[in-house]
Amino acid sequence: MASKKAAAQKSLSLAPVLDLNEASALHTQLMGLKGNPLVIDASAVERVGALCAQVLMAGAKSWEEQGQPFTFGKVSDPFMKTMQLIGVNIDHLLAQEAGQ
Amino acid sequence: MDMNEIKEIFFQECEEQLAELESGLLKLNDGDRDPETVNAVFRAVHSIKGGAGAFGLDDLVSFAHVFETTLDCVRSNKLEPTQDVLKVMLKSADVLADLTNAARDGGSVDESRSRTLIRELEALAHGEAPAAAEAPAPRPVAAAPAPVVEKPPVNDEGFQPIPFSFGDFDDEPAGHYVPTVQIDFKPKKDLYAKGNEAVLLLRDVSRLGEMSVYCDMDALPPLDKMNPEEAYFSWKLSVTTEKGEDGVRSVFEFAEWDCDLDIRTIEEDVVGETADEEEPPMQPVPFDLSMLDEGAAGASAGEEQAAENPAAAAVAAAETASKVAQVASRAAENAKAAAASAAQASQAAAAGQTIRVDLDRVDRLINLVGELVINQAMLSQSVVENDNNGTSSINMGLEELQQLTREIQDSVMAIRAQPVKPVFQRMARTVREIADITGKSVRLITEGENTEVDKTVIDKLAEPLTHMIRNAVDHGLEMPEKREALGKNPEGTVRLTAKHRSGRIIIELADDGAGINREKVRQKAIDNDLIAADANLSDEEIDNLIFHAGFSTADKVSDLSGRGVGMDVVKRSIQALGGRISISSKPGQGSVFTMSLPLTLAVLDGMVVTVAGQTLVVPLTAIVETLQPEASAIHSFGASQRLISIRNSFCPLVDVGRILNFRGTQANPVDGVALLVESEGGGQRALMVDAIQGQRQVVIKSLEANYTHVPGIAAATILGDGRVALILDVDAVVAASRGQSLRQDISLAATG
Repeated sequence: MASKKAAAQKSLSLAPVLDLNEASALHTQLMGLKGNPLVIDASAVERVGALCAQVLMAGAKSWEEQGQPFTFGKVSDPFMKTMQLIGVNIDHLLAQEAGQ
Repeated sequence: MDMNEIKEIFFQECEEQLAELESGLLKLNDGDRDPETVNAVFRAVHSIKGGAGAFGLDDLVSFAHVFETTLDCVRSNKLEPTQDVLKVMLKSADVLADLTNAARDGGSVDESRSRTLIRELEALAHGEAPAAAEAPAPRPVAAAPAPVVEKPPVNDEGFQPIPFSFGDFDDEPAGHYVPTVQIDFKPKKDLYAKGNEAVLLLRDVSRLGEMSVYCDMDALPPLDKMNPEEAYFSWKLSVTTEKGEDGVRSVFEFAEWDCDLDIRTIEEDVVGETADEEEPPMQPVPFDLSMLDEGAAGASAGEEQAAENPAAAAVAAAETASKVAQVASRAAENAKAAAASAAQASQAAAAGQTIRVDLDRVDRLINLVGELVINQAMLSQSVVENDNNGTSSINMGLEELQQLTREIQDSVMAIRAQPVKPVFQRMARTVREIADITGKSVRLITEGENTEVDKTVIDKLAEPLTHMIRNAVDHGLEMPEKREALGKNPEGTVRLTAKHRSGRIIIELADDGAGINREKVRQKAIDNDLIAADANLSDEEIDNLIFHAGFSTADKVSDLSGRGVGMDVVKRSIQALGGRISISSKPGQGSVFTMSLPLTLAVLDGMVVTVAGQTLVVPLTAIVETLQPEASAIHSFGASQRLISIRNSFCPLVDVGRILNFRGTQANPVDGVALLVESEGGGQRALMVDAIQGQRQVVIKSLEANYTHVPGIAAATILGDGRVALILDVDAVVAASRGQSLRQDISLAATG
């Protein structure tokens, strides 16, 4: 949410439930934000499915390839724990100040 | 096998799962907190969801999904299964059953009801979530360590971990052998499409024990080339768990067709291999469950990982190494464990193996066995007629044959015998719904639900029982306030009992309500012209008035039980099954309805009698007693009516031969035998026949199917001498004696 000084920086708030139905929507949202530095707000997330995790990781990969920052601004507890559970390491994507 | 057949099997399985679901929920309702019960309930919903997904039954999937989510909260101890919670769940089980039926038979479901329930379920699932997230108290993942500790004593597979005393007692966690299981898990697209979720599977695995996880993201394409619903991630897991390979397999039970799955226990001989395999390329992320207990610890561990990935790898390697050491030193125990689990597996397989058989095939077999019984009887009769010595070996052989046929008949009948449980379970639902509508609080207690009875009887039992339960709750039980004022438990009790008694099944329905209001019943009967205003009736007779057609004591015609089809319909359906129903009621204490039903509709115990040269069979269940009339006991009454006095009471005497038109004039009662029968309305009649031949079991042959309906005759049978004997429809004959005459075509039919 908090847009920082960089003018082009975009932010994306994730829905509370990131399940099968949300994967396509999330994909479309990310596609629309391509080419801009992106801060993702995962503070409202209650549930994450593997499909959405895939979309997010694919996004991170694409952003990295383009040399644009892709960070998680705020993350909720369930989001962090699910990511750890499924062995997806997003620690390097966490915003520095977000230490929980 | 085409799609429809597979679908049909799915629906059959659904029925079983729904029954499982309901009985599990009821157990929980009774305070059962066994994790296995919760699991069984969860599995039931889960399998329905999985199957429904495969057939694209979206309504079913979406409802089952919400239901499952809430159940999962219960399973993970996030949600305490209180009575209120279970009420919602039981209702949800009902809706799930409705949706399943709608999916099978078409038709519609009360959408608002399922929507309301979805909201309630979601509220339950979410209601606890925020609180749980803040508190250190059990979160789904965080809760895992506790069950692991608890599990050994409650291990449902009967495998008691063997305490290991090798000397190294200082190694606390390795107090006994715990197998480490390696899992390669690569989901396919279908897994997600069917509503399964890899995250949940991983979580379930993590609950089994200490898990390390490595997520393989190599297959993941860049964002613009990916299909968001395709499966790209795959996982390598290793979990150290008491439950071993079997426990892990059960987690993947419903997903195994939709993923590439390789599960193996790390044995001593593969230790080297796994170590090689695991170390440098994989770098498993050690997923320490305990670190999730506190948010802070989790974060610090996470940072550590971020900062020093190589260090994490080192930790993992060390971990693997220590596991390897454990495995190696427990090799002996491992063999034991394997043997134990194999033994369990075979035990489980041996318990309750069933096959599904088309009912038609069973019926054909039963029919053939019926023919066999008849044939055997004919054979022995002709042997007896032709051989007067009675010593021949044929006779001996025949006796054995008779015994065998009887045994075959019994076994075949047992195939059709089914426990009454499914019907009783359906009644639980009826009670819930009516209790809801009437605002009464009702507890249904069922007893003897494993009592077995012929499937036809079971199928036809549901409708009358539903009527009676509705009546019991709607009319019988009082409102909670009134009950409290009367000093009763505000929660009413309806007790449904089934038991075997002398070759019949007795089903009792008892409520602890107000009992029958005899004044009201009497008044109603007078208003409806059922009885004369000044009729003098005993309590019992008044009670039996409720079985009259068009009788309903409810002041208002309610939605539930006042549709004009009341107890008379119940009585008729019970009688159509060859059963009897009686009522006993105590004001203020409730009523008891007792139904006595034959165990099977294929054979009947009958009394074989002669009437005007014809052989007839009278169902034994209808006969109260038999007597030889004396001239002094016979009294004429009016033009053609006669009464017989039995122990100071008078009973109409009915000449069966006259009613069935076997003869033109009434026979002399003194020459015959009177059968005292119980008839519709509770009254007794003395049926007069010429002679009694004997009592025997006869195989029922439908007249309707082979000929046509004959008034006064219920069915036919074939006697030992090959002749057809007609089975008397006692109620029809009694009704005819009251003035409604039977049609004239009987004498023709009876000559067969």
